[in-house]
Amino acid sequence: MQSNKILDSFKNLLLSLQDYAFMLADLVKGCGYISKYRKDIFHEMYLIGAKAFLLVLFGGLFVGIILALETGHQLDAFGAKSLVGRTVALGMIRELGPVIAGLLLAARTGAKNASEIGAMELSEQIDAMRAFGTSPVYKILLPRTIASLIMFLPLTFIADMIGIIGGMVVTNLSLHVDTSFFWTQAINALKLKDLLVGFSKPILFGFFIATISCFYGFRTRGGTTALGKSTINAVVVSSVIVLLLDFIFTKIVWEIL
Amino acid sequence: MIELKNISTVVQGRKILDDISLKINKGDIAIILGPSGAGKSSILKIMLGLWKASTGQVLIDGVDITKLNEREILPVRSRMAMVFQGNALFDSLSVEENVAYFLREHKKLSPKEIDDKVSEALSFVNLNGIQDMCVDQLSGGMKKRVAIARALSFDPEIVLYDEPTTGLDPINSKAILDLIKRVRDRGATSIVVTHILNDAISIGDQLSVIKDGKLVQTGTVHDLLESDNQFIRDFFYEVFQDAELLKNKNIK
Repeated sequence: MQSNKILDSFKNLLLSLQDYAFMLADLVKGCGYISKYRKDIFHEMYLIGAKAFLLVLFGGLFVGIILALETGHQLDAFGAKSLVGRTVALGMIRELGPVIAGLLLAARTGAKNASEIGAMELSEQIDAMRAFGTSPVYKILLPRTIASLIMFLPLTFIADMIGIIGGMVVTNLSLHVDTSFFWTQAINALKLKDLLVGFSKPILFGFFIATISCFYGFRTRGGTTALGKSTINAVVVSSVIVLLLDFIFTKIVWEIL
Repeated sequence: MIELKNISTVVQGRKILDDISLKINKGDIAIILGPSGAGKSSILKIMLGLWKASTGQVLIDGVDITKLNEREILPVRSRMAMVFQGNALFDSLSVEENVAYFLREHKKLSPKEIDDKVSEALSFVNLNGIQDMCVDQLSGGMKKRVAIARALSFDPEIVLYDEPTTGLDPINSKAILDLIKRVRDRGATSIVVTHILNDAISIGDQLSVIKDGKLVQTGTVHDLLESDNQFIRDFFYEVFQDAELLKNKNIK
C-alpha cells in the first residue's frame, strides 16, 4: 500500500512537470502577443513592482544592517574592520540581495498570482476567457511573467543598495568606520563578475516565481480549501526554487568564471 | 446544426457522460434537463470545446470540433457564446469592460463602435446606465443579465446557458427566460441546461432528459409527458400538479 502511494506521488509529480513544460511551451508561443497585452503588462508591473517597493526596501535594509553588524564585530576582533564595506557589498550584491528579494517576492507575488488565478479558475472566469477565444496563458501568464522579468531586477538593485547603505550607516555608528572609506571599499571590491552574478539571479528568479505561482493557480480545483492549498504550494515551491537556483547558479559561476 | 455523436467522457476515472447522441436544429431552444450531477453542464463544456470528450464527435455545422486544437477551434468558438452558471464575470473589470471583452479582444472596432455595441447589448437586457459599475456592486439578477449582454455583444449564432435561472427569484427568473426567448427570436440557436422543469417547459422547443450521464429521452414537451419511462414520469411528476401550466400549453 505504502509503495503504491509513493508510486502514485511520483507519477503525479511527473505529470505536473509535464503540464508545467507544456505551459512554458505555450508561453513561448505567446511571445508574439506581448504588444497586444502591453496594458496588462504595465498593470502587472505596477502591482508586482511598485507595490512591492517598501517590502523589498525594508528587507534589504535590515539584512544589510545585520550583515554589517555580524561581520563587523567578527572582523573587528581581528583588527580587520576596514574590510566590512567589502564584505557587505559582496554579500549583498552576490547573494543576500537577490535571495532576500527573491524570497520576499516569492511570498508576495507567488501568493498574489496563485490566489487570484485560483479564484478565477473556481469562479469559471478562466473557462469564460477560453470560451471567448482568449488563451489564459497569453492573457494572464504572459503579462505576469514579463512584468516579473522586468521588475525583479530594479527591486533587487534597490535591496542591494539600501542594504549596503544601511550597513555603511551602522558600521559608522557602531564601529566608527568612515562612510566614504566604507563606500570606496565596497565599490572597489565589486568586479564585473559579481555584478553579472548578482543581477542575473533576479531575472531567473522572476521567471520561475511567476510561472510556478501561475501554474498552481491554473491547477486549482475544488473549493476554498483547494485555493488555500494552491497558494501555499505556490509560495513554498517558489521559495525552494529560489534557494535551489541560487545554489546551482552560484556553483556554476564559481566553476566557470 | 449542432450534433453530438456517441459522446462519452471520463474525468478522474469516473464516467461523466455515456454515449450521448443529440441533434439540435438551427434557431431552436434546446433544453438539457436532468437532476444535479447528471452531467448536463459537461455537455455544454464539450460543445464549446472547453473539455475534450473521451470518445465521440461534436459537429457544429458539420465541423467536428473534437479534432481541433485550441487555436483551430477559435473560429468555431467565435460563433458561440456561453452564459455560465455562476456568471463568470471578470471581477477585475467594470460592467462595460466585461460586455466589451470579446469585441476588444477579437474585433478591430473603434471605441465609438464598441461603446455603441455595449450600449445596445445592455439595453437589450434592460440595464442602461450601469457601464461604469463594478461587478461586485450588482445584484444576482443584474449579474446574470450582464452575463447575457456579454454573450450577446458579438451576435453569436449559438448561445449556451448553464442553469440560467438557478438562485434567482421568480421575477428575475421570468425576465431571464423572456430574454432567452428574445435571443431565439433574433435567430440564435439556444441550448439551455437546467434542472428546473417549469423553465424547461415554458421556453423549450426540444427537451433532452439526462440521468447519470446517459440520455434518457429527447422530444417535445408532449413526447416527454406521454413517455412510459419511469424516471421521466417521476421527474415530470410536479407538472401533473401544476394545472395552470398544463392549461397554458394545451396539454391534456
